[in-house]
Amino acid sequence: MFYRVAQSILLLVGALLAGSAVAANTGDVKTGKLVYERYCLSCHGAQGNGQGEAAEYMSIKPRDYRQGTYKWRSTPSGSLPLDSDLEHTLLNGLYGTYMPTWRALDERSRRDVIAYIKTFSPRFGTEKPQDPIIIPPDPGYSVASVARGDAVYKKYNCAQCHGAGGQGDGPSAHELKDDWGNGLVPYDLTKGHVKCGDKSTDIYRVFMSGLAGTPMPTFADSLSPVDAWDLVHFIQSLSPLYAKNMASGETGGAR
Amino acid sequence: MVNAMSAGGRLHGRVARVGIAIVALTALVAMRPVRAYEVATVTNGGSIEGVVTLSGSAPATTPIKVTKNQDYCGQAIPDPVYTVDGSGGLANVIVFLKDITKGKAAPTEPLALVNSKCMFSPRAQGAMVSEQVKISSEDTVLHNTHPQNADTNATIFNVALPFKGFSVTKPLPSMPMMIKVKCDAHEWMHAWIMELDHPYYATTGADGHFTIKDVPPGTYTLAVWHEAAGANTAPVTVAAGQTTKSKITLAAK
Ligand code: HEC
Ligand code: HEC
Ligand SMILES: [Cu+2]
Repeated sequence: MFYRVAQSILLLVGALLAGSAVAANTGDVKTGKLVYERYCLSCHGAQGNGQGEAAEYMSIKPRDYRQGTYKWRSTPSGSLPLDSDLEHTLLNGLYGTYMPTWRALDERSRRDVIAYIKTFSPRFGTEKPQDPIIIPPDPGYSVASVARGDAVYKKYNCAQCHGAGGQGDGPSAHELKDDWGNGLVPYDLTKGHVKCGDKSTDIYRVFMSGLAGTPMPTFADSLSPVDAWDLVHFIQSLSPLYAKNMASGETGGAR
Repeated sequence: MVNAMSAGGRLHGRVARVGIAIVALTALVAMRPVRAYEVATVTNGGSIEGVVTLSGSAPATTPIKVTKNQDYCGQAIPDPVYTVDGSGGLANVIVFLKDITKGKAAPTEPLALVNSKCMFSPRAQGAMVSEQVKISSEDTVLHNTHPQNADTNATIFNVALPFKGFSVTKPLPSMPMMIKVKCDAHEWMHAWIMELDHPYYATTGADGHFTIKDVPPGTYTLAVWHEAAGANTAPVTVAAGQTTKSKITLAAK
């Protein structure tokens, strides 16, 4: 019913704004719903509550969209994500979970389905995402930077959860819970691939924005960008599987 | 709180965006008190002074067993839930007025939430919507301050306090709600913040006493809330320039 009301309002506004190319970059909710029903519903559920049929069998549950709580964002802790953050997740998928990549969908469909999943949380109607955390360019992987990063890892006590060797076995690693009451473990940093993305900027983004809805906090208020890059390189040193070829001067930015 | 104006701004958006804004707005209107709080100079205000006591004897509590960082935090920490003095005064009770729509301005000092000796201090406090909270750590171990909406469990933010002496100031949400604060690193650490849309609140001290000042003359409902003993209310009448005494009890659960 609200679509009706909304539609007539839009007609009115449309008349007022005649000609202006509104909403060139926001997706279409109606088409997005069709995409969702076809590709996402089995896991994320018809109500967007993360309780689709397939969810029962997964230990890492599909996202419940109703709170507007998203883990992988370029925005500060507490903020909604940008559309481009959700696009980033769809492009990369979430490594090591059942969430696949959606590169196979065309860009338009991804945009539409993003517009649709946002309708599950009223927050997108009442709040605006905050400005993204600026990620300066990767100064480049080096042995010296790794050594400094090791000290940063110790100083900032990442080991409390991730363990002294980064294997996700720190003193506080047990009995951690997310907002939905599901247990979860600190990521094993020696695995060689974080869940979302494989670039150095993807690692940077995680500890600066925090993973909302989980125990993983933001360090943006205490960690300087210089220390943050050393920390990224230290994490990359923990496994030969991490991509370390981000040359200095290459463009930064989480997206 | 984002209001009708910014929802209006969204009309440049698309059909469903408008739809969402309307639905959200309806939800907001339904949730919020009919009249928003209005700040006015209170010249002839009165005070409410009172005490909250626990009826019956406080349940026996066992000390909290420290399960991590024992070298810093110690082996056990006294359980602060029922902090009762010799005459039954109950500490850490949030006391607030209901149905007050006009009065003094918001406090200017930010709230404080201190991580000290592997506990949060204070345990419970009131706050006004959108108020700033200064979070700090006096400990050498890492803490994280992770407030959640107590009803939905939704994360409000989650900030790391990696070392001693660090502090950060963050805004609380723009909607009244009960907030439960946790530290994921130390599962026994909890604090409570009751966010209200007005500044007429106080927390009881170690002796169960509280004071609410600059209340415009009138009749109100005085409400109390405690994390374990629950809630209670009492009518209270405040006269210009006078101090009204009040005594409320909560039953131990
Ligand atoms: C096979 C199951 C499955 C399917 C199908 C699936 N997802 Fe997911 N999705 C998941 C799981 C599991 C997670 C949570 C992973 C985690 O939290 O570690 C998730 C998380 C997400 C997130 C949250 C990312 C964040 O930052 O918190 C988004 C957005 C998302 N999925 C979108 C989609 C969209 C859009 C589709 C359809 C095009 C889709 N998913 C289809 C399983 C699935
Ligand atoms: C209070 C516990 C805690 C602390 C402290 C903590 N983490 Fe985490 N971290 C977690 C948890 C839990 C996860 C897994 C979240 C998930 O998968 O949903 C995680 C995940 C991660 C990931 C993987 C993200 C991804 O996309 O898969 C990285 C990288 C990370 N943490 C880095 C750090 C760094 C660096 C520090 C210190 C500056 C740190 N963490 C401190 C709990 C913590
Ligand atoms: Cu702690």
